[in-house]
Amino acid sequence: MDSESPIESKKSKSKTPRKPKETVLKQKSPAEFFAENKNIAGFDNPGKSLYTTVRELVENALDSAESISELPVVEITIEEIIKSKFNSMIGLVDRERVDAALYDDFETVKAREKRLAKEARAQELQAKNALLGKKVKDTPASKGIKGRGEASFYRVTCKDNGKGMPHDDIPNMFGRVLSGTKYGLKQTRGKFGLGAKMALIWSKMSTGLPIEISSSMKKQNYITFCRLDIDIHKNIPHVHLHEKRENKQNWHGAEIQVVIEGNWTTYRSKILHYMRQMAVITPYAQFQFKFLSDAPDKNVTVRFARRTDVMPPIPLETKHHPSSVDLLLIKRLITETSKQNLLQFLQHEFVNISKPHAERLIGEMGPDFSSKMAVKSLTSQQIVRIHQLFRQAKFDDPSGHCLSPAGEYNLRLGIIKELHPDMVATYSGSAQVFEGHPFIVEAGVSVGGKDVKQGLNIFRFANRIPLLFEQGADVVTRTALKRINWSSYKINQVQDKIGVFVSIVSTKIPFKGTGKEYIGNDINEIASAVKSAIQQCCVQLKSKIVKRMQAREQQERKRNLSRYIPDASGAVYNVLKQMTQLHPPKKNRYGDDDVELLRKVSENLITKETLCEKLAKHVEQVDYEMALEYATQSGVSEEPRETIFIQSLEAENKMIDLHAPFFVFRVFQ
Amino acid sequence: MADNKKRRRTEPTDETLPFKNKLKPDSAILEILTQLKNACSSSSGTKTLTLEDLSLPFTCREVADLSLSSVQTNIESLILKIAHSILSGNGFAFDVPSRSSANQLYVPELDRIVLKEKSSLRPFANISTVRKSAITARIVQLIHQLCLKGIHVTKRDLFYTDVKLFQDQIQSDAVLDDVSCMLGCTRSSLNVVAAEKGVVVGRLIFSDNGDMIDCTKMGMGGKAIPPNIDRVGDMSSDALFILLVEKDAAYMRLAEDRFYNRFPCIIVTAKGQPDVSTRLFLRKMKTELKLPVLALVDSDPYGLKILSVYGCGSKNMSYDSAHLTTPDIKWLGVRPSDLDKYKIPEQCRLPMTEQDIKTGKDLLEEDFVKKNPGWVEELTLMVKTKQKAEIQALSTFGFQYLSEVYLPLKLQQQDWL
Repeated sequence: MDSESPIESKKSKSKTPRKPKETVLKQKSPAEFFAENKNIAGFDNPGKSLYTTVRELVENALDSAESISELPVVEITIEEIIKSKFNSMIGLVDRERVDAALYDDFETVKAREKRLAKEARAQELQAKNALLGKKVKDTPASKGIKGRGEASFYRVTCKDNGKGMPHDDIPNMFGRVLSGTKYGLKQTRGKFGLGAKMALIWSKMSTGLPIEISSSMKKQNYITFCRLDIDIHKNIPHVHLHEKRENKQNWHGAEIQVVIEGNWTTYRSKILHYMRQMAVITPYAQFQFKFLSDAPDKNVTVRFARRTDVMPPIPLETKHHPSSVDLLLIKRLITETSKQNLLQFLQHEFVNISKPHAERLIGEMGPDFSSKMAVKSLTSQQIVRIHQLFRQAKFDDPSGHCLSPAGEYNLRLGIIKELHPDMVATYSGSAQVFEGHPFIVEAGVSVGGKDVKQGLNIFRFANRIPLLFEQGADVVTRTALKRINWSSYKINQVQDKIGVFVSIVSTKIPFKGTGKEYIGNDINEIASAVKSAIQQCCVQLKSKIVKRMQAREQQERKRNLSRYIPDASGAVYNVLKQMTQLHPPKKNRYGDDDVELLRKVSENLITKETLCEKLAKHVEQVDYEMALEYATQSGVSEEPRETIFIQSLEAENKMIDLHAPFFVFRVFQ
Repeated sequence: MADNKKRRRTEPTDETLPFKNKLKPDSAILEILTQLKNACSSSSGTKTLTLEDLSLPFTCREVADLSLSSVQTNIESLILKIAHSILSGNGFAFDVPSRSSANQLYVPELDRIVLKEKSSLRPFANISTVRKSAITARIVQLIHQLCLKGIHVTKRDLFYTDVKLFQDQIQSDAVLDDVSCMLGCTRSSLNVVAAEKGVVVGRLIFSDNGDMIDCTKMGMGGKAIPPNIDRVGDMSSDALFILLVEKDAAYMRLAEDRFYNRFPCIIVTAKGQPDVSTRLFLRKMKTELKLPVLALVDSDPYGLKILSVYGCGSKNMSYDSAHLTTPDIKWLGVRPSDLDKYKIPEQCRLPMTEQDIKTGKDLLEEDFVKKNPGWVEELTLMVKTKQKAEIQALSTFGFQYLSEVYLPLKLQQQDWL
């Protein structure tokens, strides 16, 4: 509209800039916020979204089963859906391309010529190589470059044997972001209470298909089936179907099915790594992972069997430590508390404040405060005073009782089961504190194993979930690389296959960055705890390694000694030979036995072989003596026996007893 | 003539060089140097002490220059002993003097490091010594051959005769030192030499294998110091002092500027840590020509360490320190106190690393530093300021500052420790 306006209007425009459309105060629902900032929750791109969806579902399943002390059984299936199938699912008719040049992956004439020429050249080269009998790798078939529109879709299904969900709560549990059951102060796997909801938002954004949930609780004779999606703007569930179905098999748990856009090819290894590491840290769970597609050769089925029925205790909900609270939290606690007066409030809403301690604290707050004053009547200034005192006063460290570490036993089992290392050592540290939150560091170090790279392999776990991304800056990586002197534990950092497992559990893991994928290297408390835990493992390993080296030395001693016999005896013999050849007249310088020796050499009665034989005999004798000494010193020592878990078979075993006068044979039928 | 022209051309710019105006005419400096030389030659007339003179409460191991035939005899009796031992079924073992630092001793009266008498057995039938004793036997045999043929080889040659066994030249070199220690002779008597490393230039004439060498006419690079000292003889010189330079770069500067023509001197460098032949050569010059030795090294702990190796010997070769050390070397520069005295700008000084500081502090504990209070003071200053500088830092005032101002001024002020 200004384009034709005279100069004056331009001036006026420069003075008072054109008002943008009425600034409206907009409200954004939490669901909208997360839809726009989905990278916060780990939904950066389709591939990562697929990974995060799997991860959230698996973690929810584990939490659910553990909350009722049931050994978890988790089945996860990813099913690839090709485009035409997807279109038919959403009721869209496949359309052929008419105007090919309209599309991004359209090949221009020039590009085609180029490609054909290149292919011809490659073929020629291959023919030449074949003619020469050279073995060459097949040139990879020219991959169809995926255009922008060529998205892949996946149906992700996760089934568990957990607690299940109450029939009426299901819509809100899935269709309302930032509503959750895990908001207390306790060690949880979940990140923000987003879990399945983010998967739902992602499915809504990428496919528009609803989520399907089947769930049943224990002793419930029906299964809830619910199909719903989310109204992102209102942050409320939009229920398509919500019904009760028959529960024939007495099943309890939940099965969640969601169709999302993803990228299996690039995130395949990440997802499999995740499953494997999850199996390491939760050896008491049984995982079944399946990938299904139209091409059977791409299918993957992995089963991670249960190796123990010892489960870590359920993490307890705990109260806040006075040094970790802020003003807002104190206010919230005051509004929520059931306690009447200040003394009771301090004593019961926080850990590590006993009654006499609370009285002393109140005395310290000043004359405005008294033990009997109503806690709800505190003014803002008074709350600030309490907060300041909490910051300055000294409190005992919170105990680690509320934490549920994986436990050395489980960690060890997990490592052995998934890596099959030659040696493994584990260590569980005691609880320590960072900013009022207790944390426990557990570590395992393994040497050798199958499918393990040479060098350091770092496995990180936070609150018993594996961390796979942003490994470089993580405290565990930095510690293992920079602060551990591996060679002092007889471990070769470059050549040995070293597995470093560190699991940190806490009521609040101090993640860095938005993705919550790594723990910063700048927290001294955690860094030193990680270092000492790894070192403890290394100390245990060192004695084993030294013993093994000694044993190997025993075996190889004779060989190593014998290897140098020709060199040594050759050198000695050559000098003797030279002596006989060059100055026989000087012989009188030597003693009688020397003369005798030289005569024998010159007459070939003593040859190099004679010396070799004598040395070999000596070596054999020394070796025998050393072996005897080693045996008497070390005795018949065996590695300490470890209990192993053998999974009980479903069916009862039928036995046939074969009785003999003094023994019984029991045979499986 | 050529030098005179060159110097005249540069004269106008010289006015700007700091401290240039403090310089007295060359004749005055020459006067000082002549006094120094006379003092040195008269004092060194007294007989140098030996270990026997001291009658120390413990025995020390020292080696002697042995003739080829006596080396050969020693080897032969050693081998005969071993052969008997093998034939009687007892294997064999070498009795090798220990060269570890625990077995070293600094004797202040001699001002050098000597080796104590501790030795260790190197049996063949032991997993930790089998390799070393096999190598030792092989080296002994090779040296026996050298004795018979009467030729010299380098350490590298020796290594290549049996690469498969020796694996690494470090191993054969270490065993070679063990062998010379065991046979009680210097390494040069084994007819094994190191490659040429040191160079010498200036007012020196000597014979190398019968050829007369005039070190003023050896071009800019100078004459490489011959690896076997026994072919060097007939030294003569009109120099007033010997200038020991740590680095090649400073040496080149002085050689190109023909510093030895302005102040008659002999300039020597081993390009870093000195090798055996340079140390032997320096000692020979000092004892035969009776000249004072002045050292120009970097102002860092390693400069002082190099100085100490020339002066008191290295721990590795302490068994032969009697032949390798040159007593009474004066530390001319660059000393830590010079950094401020000559106003060397900050950007030319380097901060000392932690390793440097540690080396410096360790040096302060060494006896050969303690005996000279001036050195202790300088080193303490270095550790305190945590700054080091190379000789090249002086180039900040011009490339020729070293030869035109710094050294003449130092000599004029008799500023050595």
